[in-house]
Amino acid sequence: MSTKQNEQDILQRLNLSRRSFLKSSAAGGAAIATGGLVELQTAKEARAFAYEPYPRDDQLETVVTSCAHNCGSRHMLVAHKWKDVIVRLSTDDGRYQRNGYFGKDSNEEPQLRACLRGRSYRQRLYSAERLLYPMMRVGERGEGKFKRVSWDEALDQIARKMIHLKDTYGRTALLDQSYAGASYGVLHKSDQIEGLLGRFLGMFGSRTSSWSVPSYQGTTFSSRMTFGTIEDGNEDDAFAHSKLMIMWGWNPAYTFHGGNTFMYMRMAKQRGCKFVLVDPQYTDSAAAYDAWWIPIKPNTDAAMLAGMAHYIFTNELQDQAFIDRFCQGMDAGTMPEWAQGKENFKDYILGTYDGEPKTPEWAAKICGVPAKDIKKLADMYAKTKPAALKASWAPGRNAYGEQYNRMAAALQAMTGNIGNLGGSAEGVGKAWHAEAVAYPYDQYANIWFQAIKSDRWAHCVLNYPNVKREEIGLWQREDETDGQIPNIKGIFWQGSDWFNQLTNINKEIEAINKLELVVCMDSTITPSGLYADFLLPIATHFERHDVALPWYKGHYYIHRPKVIEPMGESKTDFQVFTELAYRIGGDVFGKAYNPKANRDYFHVNDNVDEAYLREWWDTKVIPHQHVNMSWDEFKQRGVYKFNLAQPHVAFRDQIENGTRFQTPSGKIEILATSLAQITDWKKTMYGYEIPYIPKWIEPWESLNSPKTSKFPFHLISPHPRWRTHSIFNNCSWLRETYEQEVTMNAADARKLDIKTGDTVEVWNDRGKCVVPVYVTERCMPGVAVLHEGAWIDLDENGVDRAGNPDMLTLDEPSPAGAFAYNTVLCNIRKTDLEHRPGWDKLATSRAHVFRRDL
Amino acid sequence: MSETKDKAKIKEAVKRRKRETYTPVVPDLQLGFVHHNVDCIGCRACEIACKDKNGLAAGPRFRRVQYIEGGTYPEVFAYKVNMSCNHCETPACLPTCPTGALFKRKQDGIVDIDSTLCIGCRRCEAACPFGAPQFDPSDNLVKKCNMCVDEIEAGRKPYCVMACMMRVLDIGPVEQIWNGELQSVAIGPNDEVSRQVQNMADVELTKPSIGFIAHSKGKVK
Repeated sequence: MSTKQNEQDILQRLNLSRRSFLKSSAAGGAAIATGGLVELQTAKEARAFAYEPYPRDDQLETVVTSCAHNCGSRHMLVAHKWKDVIVRLSTDDGRYQRNGYFGKDSNEEPQLRACLRGRSYRQRLYSAERLLYPMMRVGERGEGKFKRVSWDEALDQIARKMIHLKDTYGRTALLDQSYAGASYGVLHKSDQIEGLLGRFLGMFGSRTSSWSVPSYQGTTFSSRMTFGTIEDGNEDDAFAHSKLMIMWGWNPAYTFHGGNTFMYMRMAKQRGCKFVLVDPQYTDSAAAYDAWWIPIKPNTDAAMLAGMAHYIFTNELQDQAFIDRFCQGMDAGTMPEWAQGKENFKDYILGTYDGEPKTPEWAAKICGVPAKDIKKLADMYAKTKPAALKASWAPGRNAYGEQYNRMAAALQAMTGNIGNLGGSAEGVGKAWHAEAVAYPYDQYANIWFQAIKSDRWAHCVLNYPNVKREEIGLWQREDETDGQIPNIKGIFWQGSDWFNQLTNINKEIEAINKLELVVCMDSTITPSGLYADFLLPIATHFERHDVALPWYKGHYYIHRPKVIEPMGESKTDFQVFTELAYRIGGDVFGKAYNPKANRDYFHVNDNVDEAYLREWWDTKVIPHQHVNMSWDEFKQRGVYKFNLAQPHVAFRDQIENGTRFQTPSGKIEILATSLAQITDWKKTMYGYEIPYIPKWIEPWESLNSPKTSKFPFHLISPHPRWRTHSIFNNCSWLRETYEQEVTMNAADARKLDIKTGDTVEVWNDRGKCVVPVYVTERCMPGVAVLHEGAWIDLDENGVDRAGNPDMLTLDEPSPAGAFAYNTVLCNIRKTDLEHRPGWDKLATSRAHVFRRDL
Repeated sequence: MSETKDKAKIKEAVKRRKRETYTPVVPDLQLGFVHHNVDCIGCRACEIACKDKNGLAAGPRFRRVQYIEGGTYPEVFAYKVNMSCNHCETPACLPTCPTGALFKRKQDGIVDIDSTLCIGCRRCEAACPFGAPQFDPSDNLVKKCNMCVDEIEAGRKPYCVMACMMRVLDIGPVEQIWNGELQSVAIGPNDEVSRQVQNMADVELTKPSIGFIAHSKGKVK
């Protein structure tokens, strides 16, 4: 072969241009067979591929599937397997979709490339912490001593205990702490509302549900109040059209929120979009988008936004036509008839009511951002069209976090940046609507007998019956049980490591010892699992049939076949609940819970799962979403990507065609109708008053409070990049690229004589943890950053050696339900205590829990 | 692993290696990497994809995304430099190998290592100015990036490139990368490609086949 030919050949193979690709595929397989690079060898040259024996991708079986954890995104994984073992994973390369080919990556149907967490799934699947058999606790809770039992014994004991608890303590005895850690699929679903556990416990007749969402309850509240929906998001490709993007506490370089958001933002940058980051940290997002960084004191965001609003109003930069047409309660002119005498937003900002104009100078004293920067940003935001203020969730995970999100929504509205391409009304940011449920979602779904704020369970258990309804955020009921405090005696965890993830872990430890039944259903041993009475091994999404849907943004479905057989004695959660239903209530309960199955479902589930999924596709997806691909073709390809005619923008219809918003008034409610009419706050799930217009409310602790004399640092605990909450904490690939460490400002560190790599203890009145420190100029002075989700590892004094910030957080949520994860003061000092970063160095070694009978 | 080594074969290789004068391979075409230092979000999906593809435990890292940051609060900057093996024009590793296990492919300039000849002496590791050869203690071998030759031969691109969520890492003929002719979304409309960035070993040492879109603070005059 000549040199020239060889070069041509490589260029074609690399698919360097679409044209050269077509040429090479037209030539067909023959060209590859005769011109193969393997033939080209000199005497000296070794084999073309050095690591023999090495199965190449094309010698392995290829199965399209997806990742499945609770991260705000969903991407394709392609399993390359040999018999029943996944040898490696790759991701979308454009080949699998209809009309696809290698390298296809159009703006309309971009590749769904998995992130580092998705790519490390094999380590999670085959980890030493993989739970393979049902286990029963033989030691103390938290001690980690278990013995192996049969499914028969485990399920019998659980069933008997459930009946006993319901008979003795009633319909609120069992607490549902299901969450989306196991699956965001359509069939095997773990979820607070739509989950399999909720339906099971509801039908059983004993369920206290947990209603607030840890990540974004403040934001959810704001979106519901202001827009009447949490679907206030644009699809990711809409971001490419912004001229100005304000990332408020948003770090897509870590969270990868939604499909290809970060990639479209790069496109916006190439088109001249300016980026701003308002955040205590100069994040990787700021670096990649070359953003103007405005460091801000944590939990003071609403004050800065109020200062911006003041600047916009007093300089008459607001979009008055938009306000007049679409808003309620923005100013005196947009007040509804019934609300005469109530406050409006503009007069609140101007200080008409309290004599305190919310000027940029006023805001500067609170948030630490110079007034000139507040004015400059307000000016940019009001004058640049279209501009996206992306008000993220993290600043809402605070005391009165909902006020920040409500305030941001007011700014989005007053500048007219809602419903237009390149603007943003986010908030929660859910965009395209997927058909999400394939299992029977009927009159039995989400039955609950009491519902509490999710992080108040320990408080409720420890103080029962001397608990006031407002303390636990009891949801109102329409019957005589309204206001009854739940008597919680057992917990079920399905797809949830909440013991590790909720606030104030020391209080949880105290509470869990009062319970009589704790069941953990998971594929992996988690810190929560160590406190359970029963560990039930649940098949991962590689080991069961389902369909993945995008979570937050993106418009596609990905097929999730059973890639390998369930490992050990794993069963799907659907199998476990069905079997428990048969054991508790015979054929009546069993059949009602899983109508398509028989009693043998525990052993054979393929046909039943297939029937549910096919029905979902045929009766929901195809007719509701105008999909013209059969279930069989979808299964064969593995992915269906919707091709939208134009980028999906939330509220486009309302703005362009005057359709009503889903609020009571049909308008963007800066003044929330429903809040303005509440008279008895104790009888609401909020428990405490929430202003009906957005207001700045001083949080219970911050860098401005007197408590800083004892605890001078404000601790924030954002979502890490190398874990999804606590999932993947045991993967060594991820642990070698990132460390659990507390980040602090260089000047602060100098004062404490701390250097990068030193081990420090971080503590306050609630608890203490031990971590290495990372010293940087990229963090605001007075702020400490410790990512959530490290697996707790307590020493004999109750100090967490792994560095979980929830040892320090307060289990006191905001009135609207927002977890106050980021409202924490702490102190830091050098320590001789040893940091234990991972399961292999844990006080309680995890591996022996599963593999030995004690 | 070492028990299964063919000792006679290695001896023969050492003898051959001593006999021959090392003449650098001039490839028909030199492939190289290109990376956008600024637009990279530093997520390390490429690293994990590489670990999975090559079946590596924690320890050896063929690809390394390096984080660079500087400035004084609040005037700070940060960027990433992403490197695996640079498949150099004159590799420093190659002449150090006592068994000739390291070789440069004529057809595409990829530097690879024959694990059946590697004796784990780690000389190449010490010689490389970029830290590309990685010692794997689990089987006492030095291993390194081979640009996923199996994927290239199958008409595809390496795992790291196909893993990049931001599409800022790519491969191509290195001359095209350097002279701006390569059609790749890794290179933006107004971007210039440079061969050398701050804190990187002098390219004249081995002439690495890599180009970067440098951060303003990472540029070398």
